[in-house]
Formats: sequence, C-alpha cells, structure tokens
Amino acid sequence: CVLHCWSLFVLLLMCLDLHTLVESAPICAHGHTGCHSPTLSDLFDRVIQHSARMHGLSSDLHSDFEQYFLPSRNQIGRINRKCHTAYILTPNGKENAQRLAREELTEVILKLLAAWRDPLSQFHRSMARHEDFTSISGNKALEMSDMVHQLKNGVEKVAEKMQLLGMISNSLMSLSSTEALAPHSASSEARSMSDYELLYCFRRDSNKVQNYLKILKCRIVAEHGC
Amino acid sequence: MERQVKSGKMVVRYVAILHLQTVFLLGIETLAVLGHAPTSEAPRQGPHFTSCLSREQETFRCWWSTGSFQNLSQPGALRVFFLKENSISRNWTECPDYTRSVPNECFFNKTYTSIWTSYCVQLRSGAQNVTYDERCFSVENIVHPDPPIGLNWTLLNVSRSGLHFDIMARWEPPPSADVKTGWMTLVYEVHYRERNSSRWEVLDLEIGTQQSIFGLHTNKEYEVRVRCKMRTFRNFGDFSESIFVHVSQIPSKESTFPVTLVFIFGAIAVAILLILVIFSQQQRLMVILLPPVPAPKIKGIDPELLKKGKLDELSSILSSHPIYKPEMFHEDPWVEFIELDLDGMEAGEKMGCSDTQRLLGVGAQLGSSHGLGVKDDDSGRASCYEPELPEADPDTLAAICLAQHEKGATSLLPQSNLSATTAGGTPPDPDPAPIRDPIPCPTHRPESRPLVQTQLSTHSWINMDFYAQVSDVTPTGGVMLSPSQQSRVTEKIPVEKKEGQDAQVPEKENVGEQQKKAEGKKRFQLLIVTPEEGAYTSEVDAQKVSSGYSHEKSCEDSIPQTIQPPAKKISQEACQQLGGPTGDYQSPYLLPPPIPVPPVSDYTVVQDVDAQHSLLLNPTTTVTATPAPTPTPTLTKPSPAMAVGYLSPDLLGNLPL
Repeated sequence: CVLHCWSLFVLLLMCLDLHTLVESAPICAHGHTGCHSPTLSDLFDRVIQHSARMHGLSSDLHSDFEQYFLPSRNQIGRINRKCHTAYILTPNGKENAQRLAREELTEVILKLLAAWRDPLSQFHRSMARHEDFTSISGNKALEMSDMVHQLKNGVEKVAEKMQLLGMISNSLMSLSSTEALAPHSASSEARSMSDYELLYCFRRDSNKVQNYLKILKCRIVAEHGC
Repeated sequence: MERQVKSGKMVVRYVAILHLQTVFLLGIETLAVLGHAPTSEAPRQGPHFTSCLSREQETFRCWWSTGSFQNLSQPGALRVFFLKENSISRNWTECPDYTRSVPNECFFNKTYTSIWTSYCVQLRSGAQNVTYDERCFSVENIVHPDPPIGLNWTLLNVSRSGLHFDIMARWEPPPSADVKTGWMTLVYEVHYRERNSSRWEVLDLEIGTQQSIFGLHTNKEYEVRVRCKMRTFRNFGDFSESIFVHVSQIPSKESTFPVTLVFIFGAIAVAILLILVIFSQQQRLMVILLPPVPAPKIKGIDPELLKKGKLDELSSILSSHPIYKPEMFHEDPWVEFIELDLDGMEAGEKMGCSDTQRLLGVGAQLGSSHGLGVKDDDSGRASCYEPELPEADPDTLAAICLAQHEKGATSLLPQSNLSATTAGGTPPDPDPAPIRDPIPCPTHRPESRPLVQTQLSTHSWINMDFYAQVSDVTPTGGVMLSPSQQSRVTEKIPVEKKEGQDAQVPEKENVGEQQKKAEGKKRFQLLIVTPEEGAYTSEVDAQKVSSGYSHEKSCEDSIPQTIQPPAKKISQEACQQLGGPTGDYQSPYLLPPPIPVPPVSDYTVVQDVDAQHSLLLNPTTTVTATPAPTPTPTLTKPSPAMAVGYLSPDLLGNLPL
C-alpha cells in the first residue's frame, strides 16, 4: 500500500507540474537543459515583425479598396464613422504611450487584437463572396485574419514572459476577461460596418498595435536609444 | 450577382456622396468668392489649405493661401478651426498656434496632436461666417518625413577593365524621426543620374541606411540623392541634398595585370611538373610512401595449398623450404626416433653421434646396448652437432665434413694411437671448432677440402655425419643403407690415410693434427660399426664400439666456439634432449663399419625427395655443389628428405617449418 500511495503521490505531482507547464505554455519547459528559450528581446522582435506584416497587409488591402471604390480620397472625411474599437482607450501619441504603464499598454494591445478577431473573419468571408475582388486580395484578407490570431497568441506569450521575469505585475487581466469586457454593442457595430470602413479601422488599429509594441519593447528591453 | 448589385450600389452611393460634397464645396467657394471678391476671368480660387503635413508624427502644420483674395492677407483675416474625432465637445477649436515667422501656417504641437485620430480643419473667415476650406485627415496619413542626412559614398570596386565602378551610398535617418524607439519605420529611396541627364534612376526601397550602386562609368560624374517615407504609408519626404560621384580611370592598374598572370602561370607550370614527376616515378614513390606490407606467409608456400589441403605437395615444398626452425626440426624428428630408445640415444648423443647416425639408429643401438653407463657419463658426451646447419654455408660444411672425415680417417688407422689418445684424456682441441660440430669446420685447413671431396666422391660416408648411402627405402619409411659399406670403407682407408697424410703438409700442425685426428677418431668410434650381416650390427660390435670409446667429450665441450652463439644452446639442448630412442622405426639401419675399418664406401648425397618419397641421389656432387640456393647447408637437405620419408601424415603437422 505504501508503494502504491507513494507512486500515486508522485504521479499527482507530475500531473501538477505538467498542468502548470501546459498552462504557461512556454516555448521551453523550465529547467530543461540544452533548450534555448528565446529571450524576451527575441520574442518582442518576432511579435513586432508580425505586427508590421499585419499592418502592411491591411494597408495594401485598404489602398486596393480605395483605388477600386474611391478614386479621390482626401475629399471624404471619416469623422462621422467610428470604429467599433473606439471604446478601447488607447494612447494617442508617443508620449502618452510612453507614459502609460506597461501592464496597461499590454492590455490595450491585447484588447485591440481580441476585438478584431471576429470582424476580420467576417470580412474575409464577405471578401470571399465578392466577385469583384481579385483572388490576391482574398488571400490577403484570409492571411490577415490568421495573422491577428497569431499575433494575439504571440503577445500573450510575451506578456507571460514579462510576468515571469517580473517586469510587469500580475495584475494583467486574463484573456477571457479582456474579451468579456468588450461591450456588446461593439460586435454589433462591427457587423454593420462596411468593408471599406472595416479596412480603414483595421489599418489604423494595426498601426496602433505595431507602434505600441515597439514602444513597449523599448521600455522593457531597454535598448540603447530608448 | 447579388453581390455585384450590392457593390454597384455602393459605388453609386459613393459617387453620389462625392458629387454632393464637391457641389457643396463649390457652392461654398462660389459663395465665398461672391461674397468677397468680384468675379474675374482668371480661375478664381479662394483661400484654401495648401497642405497639412507632419514631419515626425508628433506634430503637424497646416498652410493655407489666400488665393486670389488679396484683401485677406492680413493676419486674422482667415482663421483655422479644427475638430478632433474623439473630442468630447463637438466644438470647433481654433488653431492653437498661428506661426508668427511663417505666414498662413497653423502649428499643432504635441498636446494638440493625436495620432490615429481624424482631424478636420476648416479655413474660415475672420468673422467665422464663411468657411472657405475644410480638410479631414489622420495625422499618420499626412506624415512626410524629413530628408535623410549625411549622405556620402565609398568606392566598392573598379572593374578590371577600369571602365566601371561600384559605390556604396550611406546616409543617416532624419534626426526628427524617432526611429530608435520604432515610432517611425522609414524606408529610403535612392536616386542617381548622370550629371547631364534629366532622368533619374530610381532604386528599390531600402530599409537600411545604405545602398550600393553598381555599374557606374568611370570618368563620368554622377548625382545621387535619397528620400524616405514611412514604411506602410505613401508620402515621401523631401529629397536630401545631392552628392556628386566621380571616379577617374586609373590606367596603372594594367601594370599589375601581367604580373599576376605570370604568377598564376608559374604556379600552374610547377603544378604540372610535380604531377609529371609523380606520375613518372609513380612506382618508386608508391614504394617509398606506401611500402608494401608483406602478407603473412611462408616463403615459397602458396597459402592456397594449405587451403586445399594437399599435403603431398605441401610436404614436397616444405622439404625444399629454407625457412624452418632448425633446432625444432632437428629435435622433433629425431626425438621421434629417439623416443623408443631413450637411453640409447642419449648415449649416442653423448658419444657424439651425428644426425646420420641418429637416423641410422647407431646411437640408439649403442645406447640401448650399453645401458645407462654411457648415458650417465657426462664426460663421454661428444660434441653435439650444431643444429644451426642452415646457417652454415656449403664451404664450412665441406670443411667440417673434411675435418671430420679426416679425423675419422686418421683416427681409424692407428688404433694404438687412438687408445693412447683416449687414455691421455681429452686433449685440448686446438681447432676453433670441434670436429663434432659439423658447421664450423676447421677452416684453417683448406687443404683438407680436396680430401673431403675425394672422399665424398668415393662415397665414404662414415665420418661424414650428414651423408649415408641409402640403398633402399622400406615401405614403412625406413632407410636401408648400403650393405657394402664395410668393404668400401675398408678399401678406402689407405686412400684416406694417404690423403690425410698428404693434407698434413704443414708439419707444424702435425701434433695438433694428430690430436685432432685422435679426437676425430674417438669421436667417430661409435659411428663405425661394421654391418657384417648386411643390415644389422651385433651387440658385440656395439659393445666394442662403446668400450673403445672411453673418452667422450661433454656436450658442453663439444660445443664449438661457433660463430652462432645461440646455436650453443640449441646444440646443448639437442644433446640433452636427445633421448628416447627411435623405437618406431622398424626398419633396420645399416650401421657404419667398426672403428678400425675405415669407411671407404661410397656415399651419396641425398639431393631431394620427389613426390613418391623416393630419394634422389646425386653421387657426383660435392659439398659445394649441394644445392645452395637455400641458405641451409646440405645437411638439411637429406635430413628433411629422409625425414619426410619417415614422417607419417600426422607427424607432418609437427614438422616445424
């Protein structure tokens, strides 16, 4: 009996360990030798690269859309139309972003990314139905919606790593709560947006995400010149 | 289809909106125009914004012009109001900063600049009752970065012909753009052209701060400039100041050309020479560099034979094989013989029996007949034959044979002398090599050689330890010696004696010779047994021999001062080990005639054993004529031949070769 109990106990411990490992889902398990866990700087670089690509895609799509639908762009003000992510309070300048706390900045990024998952998939579906658009644009839309998802995961990993390293406090809200905080109206608003508006808003938000990530990296990794 | 309709509708909608807006603006403008200035033919344009732009994405400015409304040029005549997208109060706010230094400029500093926010600016009249122009934008969309600074170039290389060159242009990002924090990501575009050309060459967008330009012509001046923009946006900034690139042709480059060519050709020639040398001397080089590793094999023996198991061929080859272990060779076959008559052989050995005698069973018979007495007598041990027979050359063998024979011959005749000498003890052997020792024949007596030869030619074999005239080979492998030995020996005695005396020309050696002869006599006593009955010797004779042979040399003494030190041991061993009479052999052996009878019988040197185990005799051969290709002396030749004849197949394996 003692043996059985002991083995069960050991198994339980192992299970717990695995559970924690799975939950945290780091790239390398803790304490593994010979496993090169990427540094926070590397993670940031990857994520920033990803966000840059995402922003580039959104910009391309937007310009394609503009060319197709609206030859003259400067004439039309978009002041009336708000993006569905307007409820998220985002720093509107470099200083504002730099002054914002790291945790909050990370949270903003995650909120933004979370808010765009559904609208983008919706957009992709609507793009697929468009017969006017070329297949390239359709591929771009699909790629974009995937990117958002991937980028969100990446930023989450970065946040975990930051929490692990003690760079940010653990007051960061979990993902589920982030999404839960989104007002219901936002999703409905997103659905009512036109494709062009959607693209316009997403272009802006992707630019926000990119810049916020860069600022965050500069602050956390503390490279020279930041 | 539905989608097409929908999109079509959208297009229509947008176009309609566009039209409305333009109409609206035009209306406003016309109103403005009408309100402020008289109409003129020239295209009348009221105050309007010329541009709004941001240089670093942190502030922005707007410029306007009064247009053709000249009376609005005074400050305050036109006012700018702006509205932000997210402003709580939907009020138009006036321009925070009308730049004093620059007319018609409104500057929005950091506090008033919000990125990712839509702005709308309006150009209104002083009284705010007329809006001349309105613009809406987002700040990030109106960013025009400053031009890069620090543009310069470095020469990468010049082509071999000296007509073309490549340069690397470098610059620094504009200081106003915050690229370090990543707030702005800039991409650069390099233009270049020839001085007199009007068309600029545009290179691809470059993210880094350097760009290489290839294919420029020497002796031509080029102009290079660079500009930048934000990566995912469209608005380029201004160009930087141009730099001028000029590389003059350098003709001196060609002087180094042939030198390098010469070096290259020289190296190639040397390499070719080396290759030729290697190929011509390939064999020698191969031997030097990679000496052939001798495979483990026995010289002259094909390993295939061993594999096939052809013992007959193998034995014939082995018989003629020079390489063998003489001591073992000597020991093992003799041991086989000696085994049966242990005491006898020992005695025989002690009495200085040669291989021949051993083979013939002389010693064995003697030993067995005489019992232990002789065996225990160490002093009686005659010199053992050197087993190192292979190392002896035929000449030495000849000398040995000669000496032995001579001694034997001389000793045979005067029996009184013999007894006297034997009684007198062992005279010191002045010979450098004892007579018993077949190898180191007294080389200082070359004159004795013809004696030996003649004796050999006369087939006197008695005193020759190696040779015995074989008349027949029994089926069991026994060798039957010639029964006419005695008569021949008897006949030859006077001849020998005479010859021996002839050989003793140098009188000074008489004494030594006498002694030697005596010694030889006594040594050969045992050898000489008369085969009166033809094939057997009687006990009486054997006893005679043994009694006559009272003085024997020990094995140690008999060991000559041979040249081969290891031979001593071997001979000693051979001497000591000589035990076990050859009881296997059933064939009778002819024993040599008794001592007083000098052996004159003819003898034949056994040359070889052919495949049928028959001995190939060569009666005319001399010692020197014995086959000398092998380093081993002739003793080895008959011995293995005979040995082969006697060896049974299972003993063949023991044959140490």
